[in-house]
Formats: sequence, structure tokens, C-alpha cells
Amino acid sequence: MSKNLKANILSISISLIATLFILFIFLFFVGRDPFFVMETMFTEVFGTGYGIGQALFKATPLIIVGCGLAFCFQASLFNIGAEGQLNLGVFGMSIVAYVFDDSLGLLVVPVAIICGFLLSAFWGLIPAYVKIKRGVSEVITTIMLNFISLALINYLLIEFLAVKSTVRTEKILDYVSIPQLSNYFEIFQGSSVNLTFIFAIILALVTHLIFYKTRFGYKLRAVGLNPKASKYLGINSDRMTVISFMIGAGITSLVGLNFVFGYKSYYEYGFSNNIGFTAIAVTLLAKNNPIGIIFTSLLFGVMDYGGLAVNTIVPKEIMLVFQALVILSILSFDRLVKIYYLKES
Amino acid sequence: MIEGILSITFMMQVLRMFTPYYLGASAANFSERGGVINIAIEGFMIISAFSYASITIFTGNPYSGLFGSVAVGILFSLLYSFFTIKLKINQIVIGVGFNLLMAGIAKFLMLMFFQSSSNTPSFTQVPVLPFLSSIPLVGDLTGDSIIIFALILVVLSQILIYKTKFGLRLRSVGENPEAAETLGIKVRIYKMWGTIICGFLASLGGIWLASNQNSFSDGMIAGRGYIAIAAMIIGKWKPVNIFFACLMFAFFESLEIVLQISGSGIPSQLIQMLPYLITILVLIGFVGKTKPPAADGVPY
Repeated sequence: MSKNLKANILSISISLIATLFILFIFLFFVGRDPFFVMETMFTEVFGTGYGIGQALFKATPLIIVGCGLAFCFQASLFNIGAEGQLNLGVFGMSIVAYVFDDSLGLLVVPVAIICGFLLSAFWGLIPAYVKIKRGVSEVITTIMLNFISLALINYLLIEFLAVKSTVRTEKILDYVSIPQLSNYFEIFQGSSVNLTFIFAIILALVTHLIFYKTRFGYKLRAVGLNPKASKYLGINSDRMTVISFMIGAGITSLVGLNFVFGYKSYYEYGFSNNIGFTAIAVTLLAKNNPIGIIFTSLLFGVMDYGGLAVNTIVPKEIMLVFQALVILSILSFDRLVKIYYLKES
Repeated sequence: MIEGILSITFMMQVLRMFTPYYLGASAANFSERGGVINIAIEGFMIISAFSYASITIFTGNPYSGLFGSVAVGILFSLLYSFFTIKLKINQIVIGVGFNLLMAGIAKFLMLMFFQSSSNTPSFTQVPVLPFLSSIPLVGDLTGDSIIIFALILVVLSQILIYKTKFGLRLRSVGENPEAAETLGIKVRIYKMWGTIICGFLASLGGIWLASNQNSFSDGMIAGRGYIAIAAMIIGKWKPVNIFFACLMFAFFESLEIVLQISGSGIPSQLIQMLPYLITILVLIGFVGKTKPPAADGVPY
């Protein structure tokens, strides 16, 4: 095992322990028994096939968006705009699917996916362009674009596209859907986990291969590690910025597979419930490694559904605090391990 | 509609909307002048609005709410400087984490304390001082004095940043920390002061919003922390320019309310979008180039 890998494992485990510790103290101070909360959570999630299925269902979009963000983060592009990007893409996807579901038949699925992907990719192109042309940090632009995207969708929904007195689009025909996992595995009966989960795992594996086994991935990481040096290697960093931003943003739209085709059959305003931000935590925690993202997403999925499961004992919002604590502690222990274990300055 | 815009009430409304924007933008500016980016202004406003509301409800005294909430804001800014200045972790990432943390804590504690996921109970109106109530700003003393403070702050921050030793040193730390260090300036201490002032001002912004509404509700900050950062960028990190940028955003927000009431048919979502759209256009370069402090966001 290389020293770097050891350091990574060390910092991830210390920070998880530290986070749990802080969470326990926090729960204790608000007058709840932390052990009882944890015990209930674990029995609820892992006790039944339904619980496991729901946790997988919650993890699916995180894996997908995490992979998208990893494309940006690997190139040192802080894409805070996944929330806006994915909403626009999924919105477009569901509109296309609804309009053409009758005329195109099952062919509508790939068509809708491509349209959604392109819309999100376009939304990712804007910050990339502004960064290259004007040198403006992508952080600011992506934050602004989140608001613009959501306001735009809200406007289009309420003025033109929503079903009366709701904030959702029309339902897509029933046969255009992604099969539930419970069709194949009896154990998941009743839960919403669908084939998108398998797709998300494959996506993560492919992303991993791209990052670590292809020339493109090598270039991407080189730009991220040292943009100046990569210039001398003949890598066009502007081009890499555009490509990684577009692919990354495009991938985030694929959460529509899970929600639109696998679950509800329509787009609903606010469906994303801050996945775009939670996925930042998931990706950082995994150090932008796609295989790692699978595991951190599963952890967050368990927490997400576990939060619902313990909601009667303690408000499920405790999981928001938990997720934030995970981010902060992984960042600080990462740093401390670098200073004291790897002896970097 | 035109009469609606020209009225005194409308101007007062603009001034009221201006207050949290300017406090937030000025907060971000003090931090960035010292070279520390803080995109968690939103979170700082959320946590202090919540602490102001809950402490005021529990103690029945808005002044303990005020001081308690400012203390919470400063405490979090010290934590922020520990992560960004002491540990030198990427400021953007820490900012994202802080936003999640502070919003999460506020939501969680609101449910624990008040058993509601949407809002705290409203607290009683605080007495209005006689001479202040003659000014046509409706609201309580805390709220009114914060509005007046925000207006004074325009001049105050201009002087503090450009005319004092502290301001000169803060700027030098944000522009070129190495050079500042060789002149014997304690770089990290100045950066820390920048973030502390930032925490203080941002929490005043949150307090104003809560006091204006007499309660805290989920989503009440509504992206104002981000608009404040946008105003700082458009204002090119200069207190007076930021003043005009905030005034513009406040104008649009008040306009949105007027348009909604008058039923003009212009969709409110499009007006909500304007501040962000303007910021993007400014960034793309329609209004001249913006230039942050040279060492902004670079850990030292």
C-alpha cells in the first residue's frame, strides 16, 4: 500500500470517527440518546429489504452527480452549479419525453436523455466560457447560474408547462419507464430503487477508467494539479476547461433517469432537494475518485433514508448537520494528515 | 404603477431592502480585502437570523437577542478563520461546508425548539424610540438602528479601508501578503480581523431580516447572501460602488413587490432572476472589468 493511499484511508477514517463523535455530543446536548438514535437508524435501514432499497434509491442520484462533479473537480474547477445544471437538464428531458412519447415510442428515452444532457452541458459551458474569456472564477458564475436556472424553470412551469395548480409537468406515458429492481429481486419489494442504480455503478466504473486509464483523463488531472506545467506538456488547458465542464454538467442531467423514468414519470420543481450541493460533499469525501464516490454516496444514502427512519425520535434535519460536519472534518483531517503524517508543509 | 415607484413608501422600501444587501456585501468585502473569500455569507445570515429570533423569544429581550446573535456570528467567523487561515484549506470548499452546516443547524434547532419546520413563533414588537418613530421607517428599534448603521457604514467602511492604518494593512495583506510580511505586518492576524468584521456585519444583516419579520422562517434569507457577494463584485470591492450596486438590487426587489401587487403581468420569476443575470452580464464584461484583490483566496 502506498503512503498516499494509507494517508487517505487514515484521514477518511479519522474524520468519520470525529464526525460521529461530534454528532453524538450534539445529540446528547439536545436531550436525545445518541445510541438509541443510531440503533434505530441501523435496524430501520438494514433490517428490511425495503430499507436497503430506499437507501440505494437515495444513493443513485448522488453517484451520478458525484461522477459529473468529479470531472470538474479533477480539473480543479469548482463547479458549485450542479443544482442548476441538473434541474435544467431533467426539466428538458421530461418535456421532450412528454411531447414525443407517443410518436417516438421507446426511442423517446435516448432522445430525451440526449436533449437533457445537451441542455445541462450548455449550462456548464457558460461558466467555462466566462472563466476562459474573462478570467472570472467559476464559483461565482455557477452560483448565479443556479438561481437563474431555477427561476427560469419556475417561470416556464408556472406560465406554460405545469399541470394546473401544481409545479410539475404532465405525466409521460406509462410504458416509457425504467424497470424497478424489485422486478428482479423480490427483496426490494415496495422500494423505488430501479435499474438506474446499476447504471450509476457502471457510470462510476467507466468514469474511473477514463480518469486513470486514458490519455484524456491524464490530461484532465494534469491540468487540475498544475495548469502551468501542463501547458509545457502541450495540453490546451482552456480546451480541457470547456470539455470537463460540459461533460461534467451533462452527466448531472442523468439523474433524470432515476427520478423521471424510474420513479415519478414527470419533472417536479424542487425534486432535486439540493442533490447538487450534497453531491459536492460526496465527491470531496471520495477525493474525486469515482469508485470512492460509490461508497460515499451509499453512506449518504443510508444517512438520508436513516434520517427519515429516525424522524420520530429526532428531526431528520440532523442529517444536514451530519453531512456538513463530514465535509468540514474530512477537509481538516486531510490537511492535518498531510502536515503530520506525510510531512508536507 | 409609476406612482407606486415614485412614492415615499417605495423609496423607504428600497432603503429597507438595501440594508441586508449592504451589510452582507460589506461583510464579504472586508473578508476579501484581507484575501479571504467567504461565500458563506448566506449561512452566516441564516444562523444569526435564527439565533436572534430564538434568543429573543426565550429571553423576551431583543437586546440579548442582538448581542447573542452577534456573538454567534463572530464565533462562526473565528471557526471560519481557523479552517481557512490556520489550516489553509480551500476557502470555497469551506464556504460550501459552512453554508450547509449553518443552514442545517438552524433547521434542526428550529424543529427541536419550536417543533416547526417552517418558522419560529413571532416575537413581540420591540418598543420604538419616540424620535425614531417620526422617521417613516416602520419597524422596531433594532431594525431601525441597523438601517441607519448600514447607511453610516458606507462612509465608515470607505474611511476604514482607505484612510486608516488598519485599512492600509488589511489591503496590503489581501494584495501581497509576502510584501506585507517583510514590512512586519502580522498577516494572519489581519486576515482574521477581516473575517471577524465579516462575521459581525453578516450577522447584523441576518438580525435585521429577522427583526423586520418578527420571526425566523425557513428560506427567509432567500439567496440574499449570494446577491450580496454579487453586489460586492459589481461594486468592484469599493464601498461606495457597492452602495450603488446594493441600491440597484434593492430597487429590483422592491419593484418585484410593486409589480406583484399591481398585477402588471410581468412575471415575478423573471424579475427575481434580474440581479443574477445582471451579475453574469457584468462578469462577462458589459460593464468593464472587475478585479479582485490580487491574493484573494490564496492561503498564506
